[in-house]
Amino acid sequence: MSIVVLPQDDEYVLNYCARYLTRENQEIRHNYGQFEEQDALGSICESWRFPSVDSYWDGKDPKTSYFYNRVTFVYKHSGSSPPGEVRLIGNFACLYESFLLQPVRFLGEPTVYHALTLVLPKGKVYVYKFIVDGRVCLDAINPQRVVLDNGQPWSRLFTDLCPELLSFEPAEVELLARLTGSVLPLHRAERRCFIDRYYEQIDRESRKVEYAHTQRLDRSVGVVNFIDKLLARQERHHLIAYRLCLPIIDKLLRAAHPDSEPAQLPEVVFDELCRAMARGRVPGWDYTAYNSPAYFLQLLRRHTFTGAFSHPKYGGNVGAAGWAYLEERYRNPEGDTLFAWRRAIEYPLGSSTVYRG
Amino acid sequence: MHNDFDVVIIGSGAGGAPVAHTLAQAGKAVLVIEKGPLFRPQYQSPNGLSDFKRDELFATGPEKRIRVPGVSNWGESYYSSHVEPDLNDEPHIYQGEDGRDRATIEGYTAQVVGGGTQLYGGVSLRYCPIDFCLGSFNAERTDLQDDPAGDIRREARDWPITYADLEPYYGRAERLIGINGTRSGQAKPFGGDYYQRPLPPNAISDYVKTGLDALGLASYRTPLAVITEDHAPSGRCVPAESEVAKSGFINRYGDPLGLKSNTWVSLLTPVSRLENFALWTNCVVTHLGCAPGGRIDRLFYRDPSGAARRLDLKPGAVVVVACSAIESVRLLALSALEGAEFDRRIHHNDLLGAYFLTHCLGGAEAIMHRRCDKSRSLDSDWATDACQSEAFLHQTGLWAGGVIYNNTSDQALPLSLARTHGSQDLDTIWRAFEGDTRLLGEPLIDFLDQSFGTLLSVCFMANQVPLKSNRIALHPSARDKWNRPAAYIIKQWHPHDIAAMNLLAEQCARILRFGADPVHGRHPIEGQGGVHLAPNARARIANHILGGARFGADPADSVLDPTCRAWQFDNLYVTDGSFMPTSGGANPTLTIQANAFRIADHLLARI
Repeated sequence: MSIVVLPQDDEYVLNYCARYLTRENQEIRHNYGQFEEQDALGSICESWRFPSVDSYWDGKDPKTSYFYNRVTFVYKHSGSSPPGEVRLIGNFACLYESFLLQPVRFLGEPTVYHALTLVLPKGKVYVYKFIVDGRVCLDAINPQRVVLDNGQPWSRLFTDLCPELLSFEPAEVELLARLTGSVLPLHRAERRCFIDRYYEQIDRESRKVEYAHTQRLDRSVGVVNFIDKLLARQERHHLIAYRLCLPIIDKLLRAAHPDSEPAQLPEVVFDELCRAMARGRVPGWDYTAYNSPAYFLQLLRRHTFTGAFSHPKYGGNVGAAGWAYLEERYRNPEGDTLFAWRRAIEYPLGSSTVYRG
Repeated sequence: MHNDFDVVIIGSGAGGAPVAHTLAQAGKAVLVIEKGPLFRPQYQSPNGLSDFKRDELFATGPEKRIRVPGVSNWGESYYSSHVEPDLNDEPHIYQGEDGRDRATIEGYTAQVVGGGTQLYGGVSLRYCPIDFCLGSFNAERTDLQDDPAGDIRREARDWPITYADLEPYYGRAERLIGINGTRSGQAKPFGGDYYQRPLPPNAISDYVKTGLDALGLASYRTPLAVITEDHAPSGRCVPAESEVAKSGFINRYGDPLGLKSNTWVSLLTPVSRLENFALWTNCVVTHLGCAPGGRIDRLFYRDPSGAARRLDLKPGAVVVVACSAIESVRLLALSALEGAEFDRRIHHNDLLGAYFLTHCLGGAEAIMHRRCDKSRSLDSDWATDACQSEAFLHQTGLWAGGVIYNNTSDQALPLSLARTHGSQDLDTIWRAFEGDTRLLGEPLIDFLDQSFGTLLSVCFMANQVPLKSNRIALHPSARDKWNRPAAYIIKQWHPHDIAAMNLLAEQCARILRFGADPVHGRHPIEGQGGVHLAPNARARIANHILGGARFGADPADSVLDPTCRAWQFDNLYVTDGSFMPTSGGANPTLTIQANAFRIADHLLARI
């Protein structure tokens, strides 16, 4: 499928840029540990928002539209004169095909911004670069960067419902799934039947409406995938906590249970581990590497709860299984649900044909 | 750049939009300059989508950290919505109990076209007649409690206008903005009924109605700025399924459907296609310039690229400042720093920034017997003015009263339940949940079982004692992203405020107790009290940002004259909540809007 380029909407672009990208004070106030100490990105407010990944509406079909994002790339020039031409290349198209960014105007006058809005499928990871007057460069605003196999750095973005791991290794995912499962055990006891049944239902539905991305990533309604994406973008400053604590946990579990893989240990082991972390006293914890298991648990609880019940576009609450659990569990004596979330949420995820997401 | 505007209005919320609407409709050349973006509802958007979403992470985004140099809460977490200012870029600093300065997210309204009316719950109450004359009402009283130094009798002021003066403008605001509710049961005289019919209340609100009835308190359906029928003045239509507005995504959410009557959809949209109306978004006014003689003849702003710009005003043009009280006071103070003439005039007395006000607020919360679907809710269903009558004030020894109403949409959705667990103020969102590590494993499931759809809160909103020492100033060292001094909030609660909050919180608790147990009134309360009990009590504002440039008839005792013109200036008006000499016994938005309509009529006569 060829890439759809949407008409430029200067108001939309300026609405998105001005608050975050204009400033005179260049103090590093937006670095919470996610950047090197003096990285200029630390002076930009919420640089993770760029490029903008937004919902899409084709004007006709909500079911089709739901599976695409409207992605707006922004180039901000800082020189005394604007560049003559800014183009975009990326693996969403052939690399020899470039897309022209248009100057953004305010009251008929040029601004410091060039922008381009593409329609891209959800659930994907892309790399891209700008070509500014023939010079290839990374996106100076977006902190997401990757080095490809050929050693070249690229700017990266991912669209909604992205299942690809960006922050964790597979082994870390398994361990984290067990931990989050202990924090919020939606898959245990009688709840397991509901979650399993709901996933099966989604799988059947996916054959009809192409729920390509509602994969069952873990038993905790996808919270690990949510955390993976959160640490890749909005809360990248917490990635270091996971990088330090997951190996500590892996090591202490291996020491305590030398005959088992940590991820295969019984639930009771993880439950007790979480309680010990909450108390701040964990036998075998390497306090020199990370001194507060209680803090890590607090972080994990917020991330787990948020992942289970936030909008599925963020990568958790897969297929809205978290909401569906509440919908099923809380009913009045007549059997009517007491969390009718579908009526407020966009179709096809919910049932609202008025609200489009 | 253009200089042919009759009026330039800084801010597009409750204080600015009524002026813009009125003057543009009358053919005057109007420019509105708004710091934030224009986020349209779906029906206006070229791409068919709104930038407001039914998405809990839009109301309270990811964690960020305070990195404002010099503040004592450096490094602490904070969360803000996508249209609230970033705390590191535009900090507000307050002085804590220990005298140390802290950055706070309290006291901001949304930076977006429509301002705070985009995110508010829509509670649109009139003030009671007594709210306009608390000076004379208390002048001779000897029964006031907890006021040993006589602060109330010394500091309370009558407004230079009466309820009767403002009543026609309340009616105009209700008609043009689009509000649903009922008049019967309210303790205010109405010249006409402009309310749309309210939607059926959420089932959990039945407890509140039962409690109010059991206690013999007259009640009414809380007026809410949400249309429930087609609204001709703004051209808005309600979908066939009229309850579509009851989504739970209410307070702190912009409405993607445009049914919430924010000032963009209700007042500015109807004039937005007029040739004599202009709206510049994403532009920050940095200061005003004053010519000899007291005329504002230029203003300075940053455009969406961040470039410094100047706008010269034509003779006869008027400037209206309506940035919300803290930011308006800051803009005036920053203008004084930039120009001696402006400085001399705005500081002809020492009252700019003084008598900053918010509301005494608080309430009670209980877990009810019956679970309800709170996601089918607007912000509130029932209210009572019972605690605003003269009889009640004499009986209790309070100087002024306050409204009581229930919150229906609070904690209606799963993330809001957790992030406001144990604390509902903006500075400590998620903090109590994170700290309550009992909620782990099965106990976390139990927490959901116990709380989801069962929590019900009743709150009060009452007058705060005006004190000169409560003020907005420029912080001596903290700077915003434009290197301008940040706002400095210095305020404390008067002992009478604390007594009032305790007393009114008990009234809220009684409503809940009798709501669930109408005979004995013994239903257990989870928590009750006023914001003075919070660790950050001095910061708590609830986004009711009032005073700091009060109006009055005496130039020596006020910043603004009765038409909200700054004394000693020819053409400088302030129309947000900063004009209020007392904060009123209800949510302030409708009164700000009504007063702005009043000022607009005055401006029509002079332009």
